[in-house]
Amino acid sequence: MIYRVYVEFKPGILDPESEAIKRTVNQLGFSNVENISKGKFFDIELSSNNCLSDIEKISKELLSNPVIENFKVVKK
Amino acid sequence: MNKEVSIIHFPGSNCDRDLAVAIKYCLKLKPKFLWHNESHIKDPGIIFIPGGFSFGDYLRAGILATKSPAIKEVIRHAKKGVPIIGICNGFQILTECKLLEGALIKNSSQLFSCKKVFLRIENKKNYFTKNIKKGVVQYPIAHSQGKFYVDDYNLKKLQDNDQIMFKYSSKTGDISDKYNPNGSVQNIAGIVNKKKNVLGLMPHPERAIDSFSGRDGIVFFNGLNELI
Repeated sequence: MIYRVYVEFKPGILDPESEAIKRTVNQLGFSNVENISKGKFFDIELSSNNCLSDIEKISKELLSNPVIENFKVVKK
Repeated sequence: MNKEVSIIHFPGSNCDRDLAVAIKYCLKLKPKFLWHNESHIKDPGIIFIPGGFSFGDYLRAGILATKSPAIKEVIRHAKKGVPIIGICNGFQILTECKLLEGALIKNSSQLFSCKKVFLRIENKKNYFTKNIKKGVVQYPIAHSQGKFYVDDYNLKKLQDNDQIMFKYSSKTGDISDKYNPNGSVQNIAGIVNKKKNVLGLMPHPERAIDSFSGRDGIVFFNGLNELI
């Protein structure tokens, strides 16, 4: 069983990396691009099924910082 | 006999030696270095968590260090009231392990910021700062993830509880965006926990003990003498 955990900044937190990427995209000529937000994901392979609660615990305790980030878990 | 002053270091710490020099020079004692896998810290006087990096700062700066045995001991001692001081990466570790509010994220400028800055001391009722006579001190900063973030609700709690210790300022103590090197909320450079025994700050007082980088750090360390 593989779960994918997506982690991204909470709305309202300015991510300068995303801003820099957006500016470069605009410079490439894509002037219609108004916003880019960058995130990250983790694929976690488990030896047993039905361990969503473990994945959520890992996401809360380690993979994301609840002060600044949200996470979402999906089954792959 | 004095209680021990401990410095916890991690793979990647690089301000641990500077801290030891400052402690030896100002407090006239030899600090004890503890490796991150130290699982029992006995009766410490003050615990320092130094700047630099920890475990490559992978994932988020400081997060991997929070799972080390030594930081579990820091949390245990912090709850008992032992003074804990985290500088730079140490501050990041203290927020990631929830001993301090907020988070430290990438500087708004996207640049590594390395320079001397002025800091207005916001609270002198605390034992970390009460012996500093000046209202504004100058310490160096050196970080790329030093932007202090906290939401409005928790910012108000920090203000109401007098937990804000240092703010980036002008030489005369003016606070504005102009003097904010990293985009920190309200120019905040250092805070304490609610019990006021855990201090985190991004600037480096340990690098301000000589004529090259300024001497304002000396009073900071001298002031800790009564804690040990």
